[in-house]
Amino acid sequence: MATTSATGTEFSGETAALLAEGEGLPPGIGPWALAWRRLRRNKTALAFGGLFILIVVVCLLAPVYSHAIAHIGPADETYLSKPFNVKTQEFAVSPTGIPIGPTWHSRFFLGADANGRDVAVRLLYGGRNSLEIGFVATMITMVLALILGVWSGYFRGISDGVINRFLDIIWAYPAVLLGVTLGTVLAVGGIGPLHGTALLVPAIVIGIVYIPYVAKPVRGQVLTLREREFVDAARQQGLSHARIMFSEILPNLASTIIVFFPLILANAILLEAALTYLGAGVQPPNASWGTMISDGISTIPAAFHNVLVPGIMLVLCVLSINVFGDGLRDALDPRAKVRIAH
Amino acid sequence: MRRYNKPARIAAIALAASIVVAACGSSSSKTTSTPSSTSPSTAKNGGTVTLLMGTAPDSLDPGMGYTTQAAEPDWLAYTGLTTYAHANGSAGGQVIPGLATALPAITDGGKTYSVTLRKGLLFSNGKPVKASDFTYTVERAIKIPWGGSGQFITAQIAGATAYSTGKAKTISGITTNDATGQITIHLNSAYGAFDNVLAFPSLGLVPTGTPFTNEPNNPPPGVGPYMITNVVPNASFSLVRNPKWTSMNIPGIPAGHVDINAKISSNIDANTLSVLNNSADIFDWADTIPGSLLPQLKSQASDRFSQVDLGGSTYYIFMNQKAKPFSSQLAREAVVTGLSQPAMNRLGSGTLAYGCYFLPPAIIGHPSGTACPYGDPASGGDIAKAKQLVTQSGMAGTPVTVWSETRQPRQAWMTYYTSFLNQIGFKATQKVIADATFFTTIGNLKLNPQTGFADWNQDFPNPVDFYLLLSGAAILPTNNQNFGQVDDPFINAQVNKLGAVPTSQLSSVAGQWQALDEYTAKKAYVAVFGYQTFPKFTSTRINYGAAIFHPVYGWDWSSFQLK
Repeated sequence: MATTSATGTEFSGETAALLAEGEGLPPGIGPWALAWRRLRRNKTALAFGGLFILIVVVCLLAPVYSHAIAHIGPADETYLSKPFNVKTQEFAVSPTGIPIGPTWHSRFFLGADANGRDVAVRLLYGGRNSLEIGFVATMITMVLALILGVWSGYFRGISDGVINRFLDIIWAYPAVLLGVTLGTVLAVGGIGPLHGTALLVPAIVIGIVYIPYVAKPVRGQVLTLREREFVDAARQQGLSHARIMFSEILPNLASTIIVFFPLILANAILLEAALTYLGAGVQPPNASWGTMISDGISTIPAAFHNVLVPGIMLVLCVLSINVFGDGLRDALDPRAKVRIAH
Repeated sequence: MRRYNKPARIAAIALAASIVVAACGSSSSKTTSTPSSTSPSTAKNGGTVTLLMGTAPDSLDPGMGYTTQAAEPDWLAYTGLTTYAHANGSAGGQVIPGLATALPAITDGGKTYSVTLRKGLLFSNGKPVKASDFTYTVERAIKIPWGGSGQFITAQIAGATAYSTGKAKTISGITTNDATGQITIHLNSAYGAFDNVLAFPSLGLVPTGTPFTNEPNNPPPGVGPYMITNVVPNASFSLVRNPKWTSMNIPGIPAGHVDINAKISSNIDANTLSVLNNSADIFDWADTIPGSLLPQLKSQASDRFSQVDLGGSTYYIFMNQKAKPFSSQLAREAVVTGLSQPAMNRLGSGTLAYGCYFLPPAIIGHPSGTACPYGDPASGGDIAKAKQLVTQSGMAGTPVTVWSETRQPRQAWMTYYTSFLNQIGFKATQKVIADATFFTTIGNLKLNPQTGFADWNQDFPNPVDFYLLLSGAAILPTNNQNFGQVDDPFINAQVNKLGAVPTSQLSSVAGQWQALDEYTAKKAYVAVFGYQTFPKFTSTRINYGAAIFHPVYGWDWSSFQLK
């Protein structure tokens, strides 16, 4: 029996029989739909993903909390010099420099830091800064790493050698050490028009530090992809190198990009906290979880909430990104061995 | 000098409480003790103690070092022609002969100082000391340059300016005779505190031929009871007893009892706990005990901890007169009017004494009993008035950079000050610099810093030592100490006139110094926010009562003894 396909091609014999069988079956699931189905089944990953979104939303609402609920700004030290509780004449910091603990009132809900600032307000504003730096740094890493990785993997030869050596130099330094060095130098002089206290400075520093961690695996994948027949076919059709890289290779890296993004984001947020703790990241009086931990160290014996609160937020944020990222990786490519080595 | 500590009254208290008697038949050091200490009858020699410093010295090279952390060890390794008595309180402020046989003979209306070098002096490397080494030492301090060279050397010694500008090959105002050991110094004009200048570690003799460069990691040999060795930059150094010292037999400068390992550790909490738990011995008095640990110290270490009232130090905020917004007096008045000293005191764990005058309470000329021109410092500041003054000045909205050190509570003070400036109408941001390079950074005129943290402890008990920071003659392109670039003709004239009066005759001009200090406060050239008290804190290993808290140099490391 002969069968005509939708394009008008005629099949006969076994092929025609198979086609006839398949006409009654539902359509196949594409790779993205399959990934989404896997992810949906991973309740843990979804829960932590939801937690991360909640943290982001709450941090974005920092100005609302500050103005409408706490009525105090993140750098406001007014209650060093006047009592915040007129009835009890209580100051945010005692005469011997010990800040108050959680009050469970709208102002100083989570207590005060050693400078008399509201911890809850700084926690949210600090979260905004930490997340902003994390996202910007991740974007810088991904964009530059993709450019370098695709270029070196596609063209190979001299440019591959040069780019690889450049990546090896960055990778040879421990991330924290390199970050502290760059951060310290740039904190005083700034970068070009950016002054040293701009949040973009630590974001750029962190973004540069993590480039090799993405560029190298991307390069490895591109080395494989460039040998595939569809790339060959594109070459045969006379497409330019740029067109091939953009339209043939890059889409095949999509799952890698998606998997790397949360991993780099988590590490960027952690590195920002470490750099700021070491004095090379966010500059005072800007808040970040790292500055809060750094500032709170000196008051641990008498006011450990100053370290505990930002520490818990940092752990929850990084944990939620990592767990969600793991779920995403399992959903997109269960056999992937993508890791960030330190 | 920067960040020093001078307990003005502790000697009186100690002497009233008990006096340690030297054991018969053995050499001993006279000690005084606080009421709560137990005192041995003889000094115990030998052993090593560990001292924790929160900030590294700016340089251990005496030709450069000008912070308290530098002067503490340098004083004992580089003795000058004169030096200070090794005693607590005001007795420690007395100038005594050092490498000279006697205090200088002052002639020619106070313009000529003559001394004779002791015989048989040796540097710590064994090289004999010659009179001409003094000229070389002074030239080196000019060339490096030492931060005090502008005010104390080139401004005072004849021919020093020509030498510093390259117009002369040597300093014509210093003549020496190596054969007789005679040193004669001619000044441009009478300078009453010159005996004290000769006592600076920076004028402590070093051998001729020592490079004219800062050598912080390998300080040159000197003459003193100690030598500096094992320098690990920003980490540690050792002060070991000079074996050649005892044979030189210089009266009034005792040999040390122990060697000292100084470790730099910026974690003040950890330092406090280390000394409390006896894993280190001495807490550097230039650091501040964290408020959160004060209750613990008071309950567990009351016999080896006390807060000593300096009387000789001032904490202030400098304001650059040559740059907006503080070129406007109204803007400066806004700061002085609105800044809350109680808030600053809270950040300093309650260790500040309130005040508004540049001269601290122990210095002659401090206006005791005179009300502050811009309100009672204890009242908490008047923000509304400060805002009004800023508006009147026309400087509202001016961007301001506040310079700060990293260590606490100085960074916390400047964070609060930054927030305060924003509150009264400026656009302030904070710039934090590592402690060891802070003063050299803001002392670079190219940077033109607008405002930030500063402090001063008496180099010697003479108000001219403080007013060098506000004198136009002290403005230098690098290593500048007049951070606010104050250049007021009245101040300059008064400093020149009153500075010529010898320290021994200061009381005769006390009223004029007071008038000058009141003038400075009214002009709001600086924003004084308190006079610091400092911790005297040791481990149980140390003979607490015998340890001297020197009014000029802080801890007298040569007085440390193990029990």
